[in-house]
Amino acid sequence: MTRLMGAIAATRFGLGARPGEIEAAASDPRGWLRAQIRPDAVRLPGGELLSTRQVFDARQALAGEEAMSAPRASGEQAAPPGEAQRMIQQQVQRESREGLQREIEARSRQAATTPDSFAERWLRFWSNHFTVAARSAQTIGLAGPFEREAIRPNVFGSFSTLLAAASFHPGMLIYLDAARSIGPSTAIAARRNAGLNENLAREILELHTLGVGAGYTQADIVEFAKALTGWTVASPQTARLAGLGGSRQGGGQGGERQKIAAQLRGQTGETVFIAQLHEPGPRTVLAKSYVGAEDQQAGAILDDLARHPATGRHIALKLARHFVSDTPPPSAIARLETAFAKSGGDLAALARAVVDLDEAWGETQPKFKSPEELLISAARATSPQAAFGGGQRQVYTSLAQQPFGAPSPAGWPDDTASWSGADAIKKRIEWANAVARRMVRGETPTQFLNRSLGDIASEKTRLAVARAESAEQGFVIALMSPEFQRR
Amino acid sequence: MSYALNRRSLLLAGCAATLVTPIARAATPHSQGRKLIVVILRGAMDGLAALPKADDPDIHAHRSALIDANAIGLSDGFALHSAMPGLAAMYASREAAFIPAFAGPYRERSHFEAQDLLECGRVSSVSADGWLNRALQQAPAAYSAVSIGPAQPLILRGAGANISSWSPEVLPEASDDTLARLLDLYESDPVLKSALMSAVDADRVAGSMQMEASGAGRGGPAQYAPQLQAAGKFLSQPDGPEIAVVSLEGWDTHNQQNQALQQRFTALDNAFGALKGSLGETWKKTALVAVSEFGRTVRVNGSQGTDHGTGGLAILAGGAIRGGRMLGDWPTLKPSALFENRDLMPTVDARAVFKGLLRDQLGWAASDLDRAIFPDSAAIRPLTGLV
Repeated sequence: MTRLMGAIAATRFGLGARPGEIEAAASDPRGWLRAQIRPDAVRLPGGELLSTRQVFDARQALAGEEAMSAPRASGEQAAPPGEAQRMIQQQVQRESREGLQREIEARSRQAATTPDSFAERWLRFWSNHFTVAARSAQTIGLAGPFEREAIRPNVFGSFSTLLAAASFHPGMLIYLDAARSIGPSTAIAARRNAGLNENLAREILELHTLGVGAGYTQADIVEFAKALTGWTVASPQTARLAGLGGSRQGGGQGGERQKIAAQLRGQTGETVFIAQLHEPGPRTVLAKSYVGAEDQQAGAILDDLARHPATGRHIALKLARHFVSDTPPPSAIARLETAFAKSGGDLAALARAVVDLDEAWGETQPKFKSPEELLISAARATSPQAAFGGGQRQVYTSLAQQPFGAPSPAGWPDDTASWSGADAIKKRIEWANAVARRMVRGETPTQFLNRSLGDIASEKTRLAVARAESAEQGFVIALMSPEFQRR
Repeated sequence: MSYALNRRSLLLAGCAATLVTPIARAATPHSQGRKLIVVILRGAMDGLAALPKADDPDIHAHRSALIDANAIGLSDGFALHSAMPGLAAMYASREAAFIPAFAGPYRERSHFEAQDLLECGRVSSVSADGWLNRALQQAPAAYSAVSIGPAQPLILRGAGANISSWSPEVLPEASDDTLARLLDLYESDPVLKSALMSAVDADRVAGSMQMEASGAGRGGPAQYAPQLQAAGKFLSQPDGPEIAVVSLEGWDTHNQQNQALQQRFTALDNAFGALKGSLGETWKKTALVAVSEFGRTVRVNGSQGTDHGTGGLAILAGGAIRGGRMLGDWPTLKPSALFENRDLMPTVDARAVFKGLLRDQLGWAASDLDRAIFPDSAAIRPLTGLV
């Protein structure tokens, strides 16, 4: 029984058993998981990866100061880019793609090799909860730094800290358009015929905190969006947006403007609050009035959202879905909701509550692995080389889940139906065939099955693997067994 | 899948032009143009279905449902399954021979262990290198080998050089057999079952057109032809390798085996024909040996199939083979003569056949065969007069 529990710990809570892991977990499966609840367990060494700041610096080094200082013709329309500029843009895009590739590889390597894979799964859950997808030229370089800078350091702290770190990170501000949102009654909005963008405010309420149907109104969204105005990312574009870029722009307060412009240059790639972009006045969100300093409003609203009971309920539901089943029993949701409320949103306490959840230790495997989960668990059971072959990105793409490539701010789906279509299964079988051919011999398919699934493997699967007509076919059957496809 | 098949025929069409790459070296006069092909029939071919000893008094009691009524009579009371008329003709023209009670030294019934031991040439523990690889290291001249298939089989793995490989497919596709096994395994998982069934149906629609066109689809009559045809093209190149290894899968017939074997035997017969055609003049100097890791049970099982057994059939073919003969003793099918009262008792050791072919076809020294190539096998004498 404890061997089965060890296997569940390593495969359902963790990202799949590495050699010896089931045995290591078996003597005290819950303790084995609890021991992973430490901030350093999800640290990803930066190494060759760029920080947000470096991403911006690299872009700017390429673009030079040209964009910032070039005198503009009357009107604000950007001139059509010349040949030199287009080449620069191509170079930026190429470097961004390469950067993303390095991010994907580092993330896969971390997941495939970490001994603390429950912590890594926990990180991935939150990273998906606060999705910043690398799906545009603006965000392609930022999704990786976002996860490393905003999510990883905060997944075992308080939810409100995590929420603030995610919401104010340059990656999120750009991905959900807050960086370009301007208080509608500011002078800049009037002059530029621009204004409020509700995107981030709406998604924070709908996806990150309260959840859809939690009773907030369109008016709440607008008010929250106004509170968020002013928070943006220092960059030449921002300087232009704030009317600080060009020397020809409006007279008066020239010294002040130049000071801010210089500050923006110095802080390129950092989140800044620019009062000129902020909608002045007090805000009312969910019937509560926020009258504090302009640059404190958004943070105060986020704090209250983090503590709101609906947020705890929403997160409890998502966690139960992730660790128990697509349709988790109310008892499991309730226990996690209580843990969230009682701890004041302490995510380490919440992780322990997940480990303590009896419903998550059932013998059946209701959760169908996403492609990424499948690939990572196979990499842990075999080797990254065997699981991915030559090109990580190709494999992820063919199985339709490119890391950092979630289709929407809602992140990747976490249910069986999304991943179990006919073509998806066909692709998985093709992939399993390729993996089986790359797997080194030296163990039989049965040994592989034992080591990667332990007592989770059913008698039927054991027989099918043992009776395969070749070792290769045995590995394919083991990888494609319901027990390996599920967790 | 259609891509893989199109690609396959494309590659085959241009095969001759692309073969020069891996092996560039002087011809080896030592071999005098002689070639050896080792075909591994993975999954354990039912030798008694392929070549029933029609006059054995016990055969009908054991497996009357599995005997081909139209089998082609050869000699010594043996008949060849009617799906293999080409091979029967080779036997008649003395270009094919059979060893009807053949097995390696392994006596358990695991496919993997048996295949690994067959390929590494050892008795009990599997090594990381194969006997053909070790043989190449001791070759009488600078011989080389080619394996046909996406993965290097164990038989050719190891430190020895001069080994190339060629795969007829870009993306490996699952065999029908693998899909059938997965479907069976998914019986208790409705999600996976319905997804796989839809996938197989879609594939069948796409695949049937291909099969009509080329017959090279899974289970089709040309299923095995591309591999052996490619082997023939490699070996018949000027300066081509001396040795080719081909793996043909799909022989593990636990259920309804008559239908499955009708297809496999047809495909195998066509593949031998394709090989002969692509070898051209080289056929005359070629010896092919086709073996499985073990045979199958003498008696029919509960699902009109057979289970893992011991003694099986080895097929020898090629212009170099001294054919038209049945080799080795027939142990009979008397219950008391069966191994563990279930399997055909083998009378010829696989190593004796391999050693005989290496020595007499390509000139290996007997001392190397007994020690480095097949360790501790001095007691197993090479079978003489195969070629």
